Amino acid sequence: MTGTGRKRVRSATLLLLLATLALAWSGCGELSNDELNRGVESLSALAAQGQLVANGVARDATKITYARAMARTLGEQAEHEAEKLADASLEEPETADQRHAAVAVAEEISGLLSELQTFPGDERHGELVEQHLGEAGEKADAIVAQLSGDAP
Amino acid sequence: MRAILKVALGIIAAIGGFLDIGDLVFTTQAGALFRYDLLWAVVLGVIGIAVYAEMSGRVAAVSGRPVFDVIRMRMGFGMGLLALVASTFVNVLTLAAELGGIAIVLELLFDAPYSMFVIAAAVALVAIVALLPFGGIERFFGYGGLLLFVVVATVFHQNPDWGEVGRGFIPSLDSSTLYLYFVVGVFAAALMPYEVHFYSSGAIEEGWTEKNLKENRLNAIVGYGIGGILAVALVIVSGYLFHPVGVEPDNLGTVALPMQGAFGETGLLLALGGMLFCVGGAAIDSSFAASYNLAQFLGWEWGRYQGPRKAPRFTASWLVFLLLGIGIAESGINPVDITEYSVVLAVVALPLTYLPVLLIAGDRSFMDQYANGRIAATLGWTYFAVIVVLALAAIPLLLATNAGGG
Repeated sequence: MTGTGRKRVRSATLLLLLATLALAWSGCGELSNDELNRGVESLSALAAQGQLVANGVARDATKITYARAMARTLGEQAEHEAEKLADASLEEPETADQRHAAVAVAEEISGLLSELQTFPGDERHGELVEQHLGEAGEKADAIVAQLSGDAP
Repeated sequence: MRAILKVALGIIAAIGGFLDIGDLVFTTQAGALFRYDLLWAVVLGVIGIAVYAEMSGRVAAVSGRPVFDVIRMRMGFGMGLLALVASTFVNVLTLAAELGGIAIVLELLFDAPYSMFVIAAAVALVAIVALLPFGGIERFFGYGGLLLFVVVATVFHQNPDWGEVGRGFIPSLDSSTLYLYFVVGVFAAALMPYEVHFYSSGAIEEGWTEKNLKENRLNAIVGYGIGGILAVALVIVSGYLFHPVGVEPDNLGTVALPMQGAFGETGLLLALGGMLFCVGGAAIDSSFAASYNLAQFLGWEWGRYQGPRKAPRFTASWLVFLLLGIGIAESGINPVDITEYSVVLAVVALPLTYLPVLLIAGDRSFMDQYANGRIAATLGWTYFAVIVVLALAAIPLLLATNAGGG
């Protein structure tokens, strides 16, 4: 390859790299309505899963190590979802209130699961966490309904 | 009793192949998302793998040649090399995911750091392989995996709407890409190439000849039948418990929740124990398959029965693959994600594995009176057509659904 040819290949590679970085940068943090919807739905799913774990604790029908590890994993997922929702800028600014509410729900779920992680052998705590996770799940469902225009 | 003991090879191949970490999560997700609608795809996969396992076991017993030997013989060096690279890539990814899976189950049982358990899992595998003969390894993981029958008991405890369950066995095609992605995933998970690589090489390890052909058929039908029953049960318990409340199971631990719900701590422990043996069996299957393929392709001495002295390169390659698996499992990537990608990528390698088996099993000049009959040939070619269609659809569906993420 000649020197000019080599330069061209190098420039093209650099251009491609910059374009990829620009694309990645522009995509990073832009949250569409659909993605916001999916994020809130996943919170509802996490709350439902957490409820089942908490139910095992409440009934004294689980193993402490299992309840603790599951609560930790699900709590981390909720925390991650909260960070993702909080960091992203919205494609549709009019959904800012729903995003704010979703972050609050994610933090609530994370907090409840953290409590379950601390007291995986306490039936009373299990019962309360189960109940509160149910309420958090309902809040998430209400946000989904608002986003999809189904809310009253 | 003797007959039951004879199907150990089929059971470990099926338990490890059907119910590895990816299947446990894939089938549970299928139930959670589509309730009982994908049961037919599980059954389709079970019949497919039983057909091809029987063929590969028959070829091994009659000719003394395992699947990878046949691939190279029938497809030549170039295509053989392509099949070797593709299957080794998938096998190592699968092994990493299984090591991660063992670590996750141990973490759920003992609540200690994940990374410590990955190393512990690998050390345990080395110890088991060093101490037990091939038959002992089969029985240890195969029969241990039967603890998962607690899932079947959970189905009866839940007592679902049996009419709705029955309708799930009738094939239906939803137009959504996510549904199609799960059809491909559930089917491919049943036909992972390492299952026949392990099964046919295992037949040679056990010294099968024409006299073992009945045993081969029994292994294929009963062994994979058991794997299929457990996979169907997982879809049902998940569809019953998770679908109505919208749970999206993407953790291995979630798989055990229905058993906890039905039988409390005992159900949970049985489920986690069964999962440990299944995932451990899959780690053995995939690591052995990787070494079998490499050794058979390069013409090395191979086989657990030979021991490290007679088959040093085979043994060394097994240890290297294990180290690679540890490296990937310790990298922090979620083992469930690794295995989901490996299942779908394996679809692309399926035709390269199954076509040579089909051709050689039907070749009268090679197999004589033991060549495929009309039923085996019809089933074999029908399944091969399905495999080709799925291989073409797998990658577009993986991209279109963001690997099942919607």
